[in-house]
Amino acid sequence: MTNKLSYDIIGLALFAAVILFGVPAFFGYDGFELNTFSRYLSLAIVSMALALSWGTAGLLNLGQAATFGMGSYAMAMHLKLKASGEGLPDFMGWNNVETLPALWVPFHSLTFTLLAGLLIPAAVGGLIAIFMFRARIAGVFVAVITLAFLVAFQLLVIEQQGFTGGQNGLTGLAQLELFGWTVDIYATSFYYLVGICLMVALTVGLYLTHSKFGLILRAIREDADRTRYFGYNVANYQTVIFCISAGLAGWAGMLYALVLEFASPTYMSVSFSLAIVIWCAVGGRESVLAAAAGAILVNLAENRLSDVFVEGWHMMLGVLFLLVVMFMPRGIYGVIVDAGRALRRKGGGDAEEPAYDASLKSKQEG
Amino acid sequence: MAQLEVRDLHVVFGGLRAVDGMTFDVEKGEILCLLGPNGAGKSTTLDLICGKTQPTGGSIRFQETEISQMMEFQRARLGVGRKFQVPSVYKELSVAENLSVARSMKPGIWHALTAPAVRRSKRMREILDLVGLADKTEEPAGNLSHGETQWLEIAMLIAQDSRLILMDEPTAGMTIQETARTADIFRSLSENHTLIVVEHDMSFVRTVADRIIVMNQGTLLAEGSIEEIEENEAVKTAYLGH
Repeated sequence: MTNKLSYDIIGLALFAAVILFGVPAFFGYDGFELNTFSRYLSLAIVSMALALSWGTAGLLNLGQAATFGMGSYAMAMHLKLKASGEGLPDFMGWNNVETLPALWVPFHSLTFTLLAGLLIPAAVGGLIAIFMFRARIAGVFVAVITLAFLVAFQLLVIEQQGFTGGQNGLTGLAQLELFGWTVDIYATSFYYLVGICLMVALTVGLYLTHSKFGLILRAIREDADRTRYFGYNVANYQTVIFCISAGLAGWAGMLYALVLEFASPTYMSVSFSLAIVIWCAVGGRESVLAAAAGAILVNLAENRLSDVFVEGWHMMLGVLFLLVVMFMPRGIYGVIVDAGRALRRKGGGDAEEPAYDASLKSKQEG
Repeated sequence: MAQLEVRDLHVVFGGLRAVDGMTFDVEKGEILCLLGPNGAGKSTTLDLICGKTQPTGGSIRFQETEISQMMEFQRARLGVGRKFQVPSVYKELSVAENLSVARSMKPGIWHALTAPAVRRSKRMREILDLVGLADKTEEPAGNLSHGETQWLEIAMLIAQDSRLILMDEPTAGMTIQETARTADIFRSLSENHTLIVVEHDMSFVRTVADRIIVMNQGTLLAEGSIEEIEENEAVKTAYLGH
């Protein structure tokens, strides 16, 4: 599918141009406006991560927010320790925790924190995946199990107040120091950091979907049994994509904790996890680019509309999801693909060979 | 040593003995046809060999390895390929992608992570030419006609290059010409592959079969060449009921 690959590369280049040049110019390089936008970009990463497992492999992970939350807590724990200096984090004192729990100790190290925010979610995702996919659990049961895990994990975080700050989460964080550079979240440089992270994540996603690994996952999505008879270990493939998706979600979580300057159990709520599904569905779960764009667009809309319709906004989001599922099941991506095909048919007058027309068209344009 | 040795194979589904003490050998390069009335256990025998169904007893040795307790994908890696009764191509994938999935000499994840989704090799071109789908490589398999779908599936089997190929009614729904072409392909396949074919089309069986096994009620009723089978009294009784 070299055609599809060249479209995706053009798409990624356009996306990068808009995010890295267009948006900063539009907001006049104003740090405060860009801060809101970097929040959307970090959410775009978790949305594209879901597109990898849901769109490519057909595994609807409703627990994506749990791994996202793990990443955000990893980052927040590091910054909280930094803010507390030599002493204990303040909330531990309120909960009669005398010494720093062993769980917290390694988060003094930045390297450990960055690795943990990526690898702990991936390991947890992988562990759940091994149990699910070895037992050949598929379809809606994957959604049920991951949702149950999410609820249980959020409860655990809220209950273990002495370790996690409970319902309040982790607040009063220090600024991150990255190789001698103090990250100011209201500076344009921070926006570029998040933007580049998103581009790297998208490149990884596009690489995976265009590799044979991505092809086998699409084959598994369509007919897992048939794929087994070709000698592919289906459970392993599903486990690996689950790990990657969870790792990316953790990465997004780390950025999100930086942007908002706190970590909270609400990042692991059911409604947040479902919101990720909505972004992904609106953009189009078949494409990581579309899923990322979906997250940005829905959050932009939310930002504008929730000011006006404070209570009604969630209902509007629900209605939007219903409309998308009913009238454009492949999301905005599907609409663009169909429109492109229709245009080519009209323009070229040759409906039989759309692939040929596409390559011709891209050559003329290029 | 035969390539495939099946010994006293049993499987019971809720009290029904679907396969009951089957014992047979298949030599390398042979085309073995399985015949028998509906419910005789032909497809189940194939299911047992490829791992779709686990046997309740007996042994299956493929190239001197006991495979009856292995997972499907492990048997496939050893070289047991399966074509199902219902055409099972990936409808959402293109013809080229279907073939790429089928080319599974290296089914591991590390290889999959470093290889492109579709690699246009000379071998792939040859296979596409052989089955007449060379001008439809980018077409989603769901858009193919019934005959073309069957061809794609056969192309996938060739691409998979299994040493033992299990086929369930490969010519179902094909025209007479297509059946004849399939028979040609089968004959050329048997140079490097062993085939076990379940088939009802007797003219097809006459053309391709080296040996025939007739099954009835899960047991082996008769075994031999086409002439021997046609003369066999037990077979006549099983089919005609007198």
